Amino acid sequence: MIDHSCSCEDNPLIPKICVVSDVIEETPDTKTFRIQTVDGKKPFLPKPGQLAMISIFGVGEAMFSITAQGEDYIDSAIKKVGVLTEALHSISPGQKIGVRGPYGNGFPIEGLEGFDLLFVGGGIGLAPLRSLIRHSLENRKNYGHIDILYGARSPEDLVFKDDLFENWTKQPDTIVHVTVDKADAVWDGNVGFVPAYLEELAFQPRNRKVIVCGPPIMIKYCSESLVRMGFDKKDVITTLEMRMKCGIGKCGRCNIGSKYICLDGPVFTLSELDDLPDEK
Amino acid sequence: MKLLKKDLKEALRLISDDFELLLPGEGSGVSRFALWDGGDIDLSYGNTQLPPKDILFPHTEKMYSFKCATDVEVTEEAEAKSRIVFGIRPCDMRAIECMDKVFLEKGFTDSFYSRKREHTLFIAMGCTNPCRTCFCDSMGLTPGDAPAADILLVESDDSFEVKAQTQRGKEIAECFGRLLTDGKVQVSKVSCALKTKMSDDLPEKLSGMFEHPIWDEVGRACIGCATCTYVCPTCYCFDISLDNHGSEGVSFRCWDSCMFSDYTRMAGGHNPRPTKKERVRNRYMHKLSYFNERYGSALCVGCGRCVEKCPANLDITEFIDKVAEVRL
Repeated sequence: MIDHSCSCEDNPLIPKICVVSDVIEETPDTKTFRIQTVDGKKPFLPKPGQLAMISIFGVGEAMFSITAQGEDYIDSAIKKVGVLTEALHSISPGQKIGVRGPYGNGFPIEGLEGFDLLFVGGGIGLAPLRSLIRHSLENRKNYGHIDILYGARSPEDLVFKDDLFENWTKQPDTIVHVTVDKADAVWDGNVGFVPAYLEELAFQPRNRKVIVCGPPIMIKYCSESLVRMGFDKKDVITTLEMRMKCGIGKCGRCNIGSKYICLDGPVFTLSELDDLPDEK
Repeated sequence: MKLLKKDLKEALRLISDDFELLLPGEGSGVSRFALWDGGDIDLSYGNTQLPPKDILFPHTEKMYSFKCATDVEVTEEAEAKSRIVFGIRPCDMRAIECMDKVFLEKGFTDSFYSRKREHTLFIAMGCTNPCRTCFCDSMGLTPGDAPAADILLVESDDSFEVKAQTQRGKEIAECFGRLLTDGKVQVSKVSCALKTKMSDDLPEKLSGMFEHPIWDEVGRACIGCATCTYVCPTCYCFDISLDNHGSEGVSFRCWDSCMFSDYTRMAGGHNPRPTKKERVRNRYMHKLSYFNERYGSALCVGCGRCVEKCPANLDITEFIDKVAEVRL
């Protein structure tokens, strides 16, 4: 039999019809879509860091990270960058969409247990991190101290503001560090790029795992900083993006070396990335 | 068992009621596998110009149709005709084995492919007279042998030896009944004219050559036309797209090519393989290194079609030889 855990009954390339039950505006170019089955259930059971192939019938299909999940829904926060995401941003609650998945390896949640966690996110990169942040806060006793370092271009570009300034700051033994590239008139927080703030905060590598998501350039500089700060490359986890069509490791285009990002990724440690060709 | 060549047409007629028969033939100036019309059988084809991969993996394939007028409705396309591919060459048969690995293994089964695969049998024809661009024996194949075929035919002047290699092959051979006589065919060992310095350690050597200047050279020569991927029997990359009119439409998949610039271009514009250099590198690496790493065999079967057809005269055998000469 087929050894996988996606929600398809028979054919993994046929989407399941689901409903967007709520749309939350995060920033001027990012919205969170709450997705349920037609009968109000959770479309499937994703692991933190897994992906969903989302389609609008008649427009197209693309892969997105799953930002959160609840009893009866999954959430995906999507930034407007192309044809499909433009169309997604124009839909209202109640619209039917296609969903396939969950795909990808997800974060190594068991491997993180017992460690202090440092989340480093930039821009829409907080979307995949949020699934793991929520998981670690829901299972708080399994993890040590939690730091969340997040940055965006400007205060209005910060996603999940309720989490950043309310929900997560109230959690025990959890610190949220927010920075923006450029402040506005009312911003009184840190100003500066994420890698610079990361160095300034000078986290100790001892018993700590780091999970980094964001634009490629941010990942690059943060990784270099973390290695300089003494972190082992095995303890730094990140996610990769490539163009995807099938999501199941067949159609060919998302490979880096012999690995398919949709199937073997998107989550890799820095030491695993060292074994892949530099083609990101 | 032996089948006289003069009885071949009769033998195929015996199975043509139960199966669609696909034979090598020529139409519109292109040789390819096509439905047998019951006419004369031309066995002079070495490799057909187009590979038989479209039998299991059509050029364009409808996946599902949708209606979203009042409510969204998705209808899956199902198709399962029993077919026999007659006269497939050992290289193309090996290519089917490669596609089987891709579409049937590693966690997910591709239902569109597996449905066709289950209902398709292969009667292979061992090669006695390789084409001028064939190099399958350099890639570890034996020109006269196709182990994955249901039946292997070994050709002599006036007859074929019929070797049933699977249970389904035996059942087909039984249908030939009285046309079969006892006996074997003696053939001398066949060797390809084109040789290349492929070796067991070349895949690993290549994986250490990602930044080597050799890619600038091949990248410059390539014109990005994708003919190589189109005629390649193992190239399996596909695109998923849709065609809709008003509120109804179909989702389909079609062959794609890693030689095209749009292939890896993401929304927002970033392209991890922005020039021909990265794209040619990915293709050669996939054929000769990545696939070995992932599935345990090369993704080149030595059929020679890309060597024959490349308008820029890029030649994978020359490339292999150059890599063999490189000192790291």
